[in-house]
Amino acid sequence: MQVFIAQVINGLSLGSIYVLLVTGFNLLLLVAMIIHFSYPQVVVFSMYITWVVLQATGNNLFLGILAGVVSSVVLNLVSAPLFQKVMKKRGEVDINSTMVLSMGIGMIITDVLSHTFNNGLPIAFPDSLSSSAPLLRIGLISVLTGQVWSLAVGIIAVSAFFLLLYRTRPGRAFRAIAEDPNGARLVGIPLLRTGLYSYALSGVLGGIIAVLLAMLLGTASPGLGEQVAHKVLAVSIIAGLGNLAGGLVVGLFLGILEAIVQGYISGSWSNAIAFVIMLVVILVRPRGLFGSKL
Amino acid sequence: MKKSLGILLAAALLFSIVGCQQPAPKEWTVPFLNSLTGAIASIGEYLEWGAERAAKEINDAGGIKGKPVKIVGVDTALDPQKGSVEMARLVKDSLVTLGPVPEPVIMAAMPIAVENGMMSITATTSLEYAQKFFPWTISWFPSTEDRLAPLVAAWGKQFPDMKKVVQFVEPYGPWPGMADAHAKGLSGLGITMLDKVEVPTDAVTFGPLVVKALNEKPDGIVFVTAADKAAKLIKELKSRGWKNMDHLLVFSSADAPELYATGAKDINGIEIYNYINPNLDSPRWNAFKQAYADAHNGQQPPSLSTNYYDAVYMIKEAIEKTGVTGSPSKLKAERKLIADYLQNVKGFHGIMFDWDMKDGIPTNKPTYIFKIEDGKKVLVQEVKG
Amino acid sequence: MPLPLYYFLAITAVNVLLAWSLYLPYRVAHLHFITVANMAISGYSAAFLVMTLHVPFGWALLVGFALGALVGFIVSLFIGDAPTFAVVIVGFTFIYITRTVIENLKAVGGTMGIFGLPNIGGNPVTHRWVIIAILYGLLLVVGFLIHRFEHSRLGRAASAVFVDKDLAASLGIDIKKLGMLVQTASCTIAGGCGVLYGFIYKSFHLDFFTFALVGIAMTIIFVGGYATLWGSVVLAPILYGVPLLFPAAIQSWRIVIYGAALILVLVLKPEGFITRRFVYSIESFLSGNRKKRNTP
Repeated sequence: MQVFIAQVINGLSLGSIYVLLVTGFNLLLLVAMIIHFSYPQVVVFSMYITWVVLQATGNNLFLGILAGVVSSVVLNLVSAPLFQKVMKKRGEVDINSTMVLSMGIGMIITDVLSHTFNNGLPIAFPDSLSSSAPLLRIGLISVLTGQVWSLAVGIIAVSAFFLLLYRTRPGRAFRAIAEDPNGARLVGIPLLRTGLYSYALSGVLGGIIAVLLAMLLGTASPGLGEQVAHKVLAVSIIAGLGNLAGGLVVGLFLGILEAIVQGYISGSWSNAIAFVIMLVVILVRPRGLFGSKL
Repeated sequence: MKKSLGILLAAALLFSIVGCQQPAPKEWTVPFLNSLTGAIASIGEYLEWGAERAAKEINDAGGIKGKPVKIVGVDTALDPQKGSVEMARLVKDSLVTLGPVPEPVIMAAMPIAVENGMMSITATTSLEYAQKFFPWTISWFPSTEDRLAPLVAAWGKQFPDMKKVVQFVEPYGPWPGMADAHAKGLSGLGITMLDKVEVPTDAVTFGPLVVKALNEKPDGIVFVTAADKAAKLIKELKSRGWKNMDHLLVFSSADAPELYATGAKDINGIEIYNYINPNLDSPRWNAFKQAYADAHNGQQPPSLSTNYYDAVYMIKEAIEKTGVTGSPSKLKAERKLIADYLQNVKGFHGIMFDWDMKDGIPTNKPTYIFKIEDGKKVLVQEVKG
Repeated sequence: MPLPLYYFLAITAVNVLLAWSLYLPYRVAHLHFITVANMAISGYSAAFLVMTLHVPFGWALLVGFALGALVGFIVSLFIGDAPTFAVVIVGFTFIYITRTVIENLKAVGGTMGIFGLPNIGGNPVTHRWVIIAILYGLLLVVGFLIHRFEHSRLGRAASAVFVDKDLAASLGIDIKKLGMLVQTASCTIAGGCGVLYGFIYKSFHLDFFTFALVGIAMTIIFVGGYATLWGSVVLAPILYGVPLLFPAAIQSWRIVIYGAALILVLVLKPEGFITRRFVYSIESFLSGNRKKRNTP
């Protein structure tokens, strides 16, 4: 029983990574109609900027976190016009062009990271941000600070963005621009300003995710984003594109599933088994388990 | 008409004579098929650094037979498509090459070197890969089973209390075979080998794997994974209460900067095996270490950084001892001379130790077990084969 | 034939065929990434047949095609009319499953791979000419078939499905059968491609068939032009060949240059270099010239 509980906690920890990344991914989908396949690479870039500032300021957490958030916002704002340009028709999810464009962005980010930061070696965050000392340890069960924060913030972020997008005027404005820019303009929504806010918002979330991943993982490497990108896309599809709550549930479920398979069956089969289960789900419910929000 | 024909014939004869007697080039160009971009660019960088370092030393001492040696980095970007076409370009004129790196590119590119009878020194892969391409490469390492079984047994012998060992194994290239060799060595001591814990290549968290391993209540753990994964597994173990750090053994392929960068103080006390001893006190090695530190913000040279350093010196020795001229007209014959020499070189003076090759396999390379203390390797024992 | 030219031609042909194997299902808006898994399955199977059972290469190649077709057909029974994203998941799943199975299968070398595939025809020179002949023969045949498909009712039906699936269905187009046809064809091409890919290198390694190959194929299609088969033909040699010409100093930044070029092309020409309109204008020009020549 202890082992099972430990694995479930491990699974929640892994799942919280997926939840955070899928939330940011879905947010971009909802406010900008972008399938940002390389969103995890953008987050990893912010992790690196956080690390650089921490190194330069003697581990000043406030400045490090601020730098991570600002870098994510800037990257989002810089890439926004590129995505807008390639999308054929607003109001439709153009997976293909935006996916390939984001692949290009991801390639550049990964290569720049491996060339210019720490000689391409992994970076390690200071203990003040990512302590591996457990909050709670009973036998094999171990709970770290980073795990608690990631899961808590993941749930709060999903709830907060859900409320923002579906229960507030600015949120409805963001969605209106994404779904029908002409219609949005007709009803008086300022396109440019609102569009910029929406990208900035997802950038802020990206920066927060970067800090949380730094707390949870303690390290980062140039290839970290690529390692999880397929799963992030898969979780979003299985949950239902743009479905924030669905992303939370499926992200956590995938994390727990992987942990259970790795713990009880085999590590090398965890990806295959996880994807087979997702495959069965998508064949039974092609629009995702909880329905697409697009 | 007859006069014109005669002039043409004479010109053709003259050109053919000149072509046959084409002078040797002014420098020894040694291309190095390496992964300078992509996922292992950081490894490719220090491999190339080692080769360039050797070239610099050789040139400062007068070159090879009076001519400078030039290492030309050829990026394969971990891409078999690129590796194959680059090797195809190199086999036309090159006397000998270094690399390729790593295994997927070796598989794609080495058949080309073999077909064209050109030695290409793959100094970072296992014998099991290298021997498929003999005699046109040499192995930097002896047979996995012959070497690793007694080595890991030597580690196990230190701890009579160690009755059960588990291995974390990543499914890449020769690593599962190395894990089998470890198991053989430890089983020979009467240690029970628990089921291997397979580590997915794209794992980002390691809690589930560590819990699985710890649930078996092992006394010792061996890590056969990439360096950064080994470090993360160790950190996870520590956070779950693992205390006997010296009962953790990391294999040689994980003895890379990523282990130290990721593990930091959490890897203090673990043991690691490798083929070079960084604590050696010799002018040559001390100069190498200093130069590496100067070029890499004070870092210690990784173990693989010496491989291509030695490979370049091997090429130097082969050229000098076999009388190779580098003349393009003798390319085929001189390639064979170099290959034959390197396959059975005797008493080669490597940067760390002298060794012999027999039919492409090193026969007397030492292996060492170290303990990590404050990010540095402290020698525990030398294990002779 | 100079050796670099052989590898350039051979690998370019494989990349074009791989891109076409993705292009066909994309005509009905399916991103059918299973093709990479097909390459691995057929390639390893053929290598096993040749190395272990000493089956002649020709038969092994046919088995590769057949296996690709079988896998594609069976999978298409379930996803012939599935939404795009479901097809994406299927592709990812098969890639993971294939890799895991091969990793654990000692009979095909496991993580070590398969070495030393024999020369077709007994010597390297014949081997290369046979490979080139088969690849370019395949290019001609497959290209012809895709061209005929595009200029047929099936092709027009596929275009309709691409634009609006529901409308296409209401016009009487059997979405599922069309999806099954293109998916099966795509997997058949990929299967044969996988066999030839390994025989170019005379070895097989798991890392020959990764998600990176998906990325290459996607780039060829979307930058070359996703609305016509000619985009792949034009871009594949450029994508493969141009970076080989970079000087050494720029080589280390190759990936950044590549990514930037990708972004630039997509921003400036979202449909890719070769658009359908461009192809139509060329075809009209050529047919116009033919009319003039035929007119007395």
